[in-house]
Amino acid sequence: MKRAGFDAIVIGGGHNGLVNAAYLGRAGLRVLVLERRHLVGGAAVTEEVFPGFKYSVCSYVVSLLRPEIIRDLDLPACGLEILPLESTFTPLPNGDYLVRWADHDLTRRELYRHSPRDADAYDEFGRLMHQLAFAVKPVLGMIPPDVTSFAPSDLAGLLRLGRYVRGLGADRFHALVKLMTMSAADYLEEWFETESLKATMSASGIIGTFLGPRSPGTAYVLLHHYLGEIDGVFRAWGFARGGTGAVSNAIATAAERRGVTLRTGAAVARVITRGGRARGVVLESGEQIGARVVVSALDPKRTFLELVDPAELPGELVADIRRFRIRGSSGKVNLALSELPDFTCLPGFGPHLRGAISISPSVEYLERAYDDAKYGAFSRRPYLDIVIPSLIDPGMAPPGKHVMSIFVQYAPYQLNGGWTDARREAFGDTVIDTLSQFAPNLKSAILHRQVLTPADMEREMGLTEGNIFHGELSLHQLFSLRPATRWAQYRTPIAGYYQCGSGTHPGGGISGAPGRLGALRILKDLRQ
Amino acid sequence: MSAPFDAIVIGAGHNGLTAAAYLARAGLSVVVVEQRDVIGGATVTEEFHPGFRVDTFAHRMGPFSPRVFEDLRLRTYGLEMVWPDPARVAMADGRALSLFRDPSQTAEAIRPFSSGDAARWPAFCRTVADAARLVDAVRQSQPPRLPDPGLRDLLRLAAIGLGLRRRGKRAMAETLRLLPMSLADLLDDWFESDVLKGAVAGAGLPGLMQGPRGAGTAYALLHHLAAGEAPGGVTLVRGGTGRAAEALAGAARAAGVEIRTSAPVERIGVRSDAAVEVVLAGGEVIPARRILSSADPKRTFLTLVGPEALDPAFVRQVRHIRMRGACAKVHLALGELPRFPGIGGGDAELRGAVMVAPGLDYLERAFDDAKYGGVSERPFLEAVIPTLTDPSLAPPGRHVMSILVQYAPYHLKAGAWEAARREALGDAVVAVLAEYAPNLPAAVLHRQVLTPLDLEQRLGLTEGNIFQGEMALDQLFFMRPVPGWARYGTPVRGLYLCGAGAHPGGGVTALPGYHAARAVLRDMSAS
Repeated sequence: MKRAGFDAIVIGGGHNGLVNAAYLGRAGLRVLVLERRHLVGGAAVTEEVFPGFKYSVCSYVVSLLRPEIIRDLDLPACGLEILPLESTFTPLPNGDYLVRWADHDLTRRELYRHSPRDADAYDEFGRLMHQLAFAVKPVLGMIPPDVTSFAPSDLAGLLRLGRYVRGLGADRFHALVKLMTMSAADYLEEWFETESLKATMSASGIIGTFLGPRSPGTAYVLLHHYLGEIDGVFRAWGFARGGTGAVSNAIATAAERRGVTLRTGAAVARVITRGGRARGVVLESGEQIGARVVVSALDPKRTFLELVDPAELPGELVADIRRFRIRGSSGKVNLALSELPDFTCLPGFGPHLRGAISISPSVEYLERAYDDAKYGAFSRRPYLDIVIPSLIDPGMAPPGKHVMSIFVQYAPYQLNGGWTDARREAFGDTVIDTLSQFAPNLKSAILHRQVLTPADMEREMGLTEGNIFHGELSLHQLFSLRPATRWAQYRTPIAGYYQCGSGTHPGGGISGAPGRLGALRILKDLRQ
Repeated sequence: MSAPFDAIVIGAGHNGLTAAAYLARAGLSVVVVEQRDVIGGATVTEEFHPGFRVDTFAHRMGPFSPRVFEDLRLRTYGLEMVWPDPARVAMADGRALSLFRDPSQTAEAIRPFSSGDAARWPAFCRTVADAARLVDAVRQSQPPRLPDPGLRDLLRLAAIGLGLRRRGKRAMAETLRLLPMSLADLLDDWFESDVLKGAVAGAGLPGLMQGPRGAGTAYALLHHLAAGEAPGGVTLVRGGTGRAAEALAGAARAAGVEIRTSAPVERIGVRSDAAVEVVLAGGEVIPARRILSSADPKRTFLTLVGPEALDPAFVRQVRHIRMRGACAKVHLALGELPRFPGIGGGDAELRGAVMVAPGLDYLERAFDDAKYGGVSERPFLEAVIPTLTDPSLAPPGRHVMSILVQYAPYHLKAGAWEAARREALGDAVVAVLAEYAPNLPAAVLHRQVLTPLDLEQRLGLTEGNIFQGEMALDQLFFMRPVPGWARYGTPVRGLYLCGAGAHPGGGVTALPGYHAARAVLRDMSAS
């Protein structure tokens, strides 16, 4: 029999909510996680959408999960197993292709085929990015200071930041400033000449944003590619065995082992507050559960405008959250295939299919895809990032069959005329047509198809506007400004009410960092 | 060989002249060498048709530094600045929106478009003014040595930070948020009227190879504002901006500066890593103890100094400076004033800038064309009719119209900037204006079109970039012109940059020239 009552309730069983709960549980708190859906994981779930075919429905690759979280929660012992993503394969319309392999020498040889200069630059670029990834690590693990405050803890934070910047040295500091402010295309232009290389690399800078590769502010996401690698825990990008849901399940197991209670099918209607303090939550069923700490892992719009009455919050914060940019820009197409796609430019079912397949032939291609979305249409020729997990993890599909996950950009949430069933299918057709140009056998190989628009992701995963990062990662929505100045420290104006989702620093992706930092904040506050 | 000058200034643009005047006032012997037969650089007023004079490039001021204006007593040398009110008139669907210097007057003008926007305008002006105050403080000082500032830099930075904080937490938060934003995000936060958003965005975009959705464009708007000026503010010069250069030249000469025109510099002579002389195109050698170049950084280092005299890593940084030209100029000699049926209130309404920027999507689409190396099919225009401020620029009863056209990229994807292309651009501009002023085509007596290539060839601006380097976040402040060399000195001892390529950047402000002269004098007193 459990003791009655909980110390803390975490709203939302996505990976950040679970990480947060696990850390609180680890510190001895009695924690309850409430998840609206029938399974935990949020946007990091594996589901059997069609009989026998399992999908990482939303998020489909892992690279950013913080090593300290893997260590602290002992996730490998909880079933986490990362399988390497071997390559990035970019088929080109002229019949050629570009592949970057996990094997350095192979990549070098392939790049040399396109441009000897780029092959040399690639190594130097890699070294710099590694250095910079090391350089930003402390910032990703830091609770951002409130820059408007003269409180000792905030001034200390500023001072720490100043010392950190100083310790970087001029070269790394300047390189970081450039990365933070430039466009991915401009940044790569300084290094490379091969169009498909620049395009495929810059594509990683636009994922999840409502920006094109030529928009300033897209360069720093390039760093993410190098963040996973540096700790030697696993490779830059990978799959979790069992799909992305297995990551969530491992964290959930870790949380349960630390005494955390998980409840699915429990949608929270609102947070109970009295006298400016959080006292617990009310479920949509009407059930009330008390706790002295309530943590929202939902996005800032839901955290501040739906779970609590905005009238209880300072008007400035409400205004900030209302104007917080959270425009969804991507969709997802999940296919069940009777056979593997056969690419005209590189026929056969070789190792190039085991990694990522990127439809990003040129920067202009990506930029034009963005132009469509700017004016409210989905891209006529979208950027696609494709993986076939069943090649690496056969358990994902029946024998001889395959699952294919296609991340699609751009698909604006605010579509002209709105998203309808017909538009969803037209969007799916566009994706299939785009890919079929490179792999003509695709259409006949499709057994089932699932199309997710940003509107679907909002409805099913609870992502406002279908934004996969809980808010765009633009410069004015990062660090001390995420989600709002003065409220970037995981607290809220309501005592005992905290935030820990991707809408807080350091943002989206399966990093777990917001969940962990939120927990550290809470534990520190409880000690005081 | 003659005795060396204390300083040679390359280029008689407004920044070069400013630097020269300050150095001479400090007692240095200074010569300015200018390639053209006229002074002024991009701040020059020339006859483009018999009896008609126009500003060849800059047709409004930057905002010009009040300190330089006072120090050099430019009023006595003939510089008369004019602040038209309304500052801007934005054309839109048969109506027009005027932006005045007084926010409450502008609010009234906005009301027919959106009463909500009218109510929000004064608060928007205050928010922008807070941010502009910060930008102005940064502009008035030399960039700090980052990431390892000395004590002085640290104190100055702290003073700027505290100055901002003193305006309240909210103001500070708003400013920090605003600085890296795009104009579209900023304006979408505040307003619903696309006409208003276009008008304000149009005030920030000139010279940028960015559309309103480009992050960092909000900063560009601030850059055009002196502290306290309402968004969209315009400063003109009676007689054309060339008068500013003439006044600066007058002040410089009075301080003892020698100005030599038709003296194009072929190279800067470097010995033992120090700049020692300037070699003119005819072969004449002018020795000097120090050299200040107001040419852009690419021209200065890659052409005048030459890569062989420089560290390859530095050369690479210079090559990476983005300076893609984005605009063209069209000059019209007019038999009569254009009549805009959308604008009431008579000629006085037209004394500021007349803009064709009817919405954010319009501007963004104009940029889309240029992004792929094409000229905007429907360009964004900022037109000034200087004869309304000074009728002597044209024969009696006649007028001049100076039009800044965006986007016209220097790098065309197909073809080149040949005559047909130039005239097509001119036709497109007149056609767009004619939609708002039907009498315009018939009133045109003569037309001059200057493409980015013309601006490069005529004024020496690499790639026709009017800012001598794009005003993008990664090319500003301590990153301008290249990281590590933002304090006017260069890796070549005795060589300084004093043009718009250095902090705080482009526009007719005189600040790069002022700061460069100070840097020279500081170095002299230190050694």
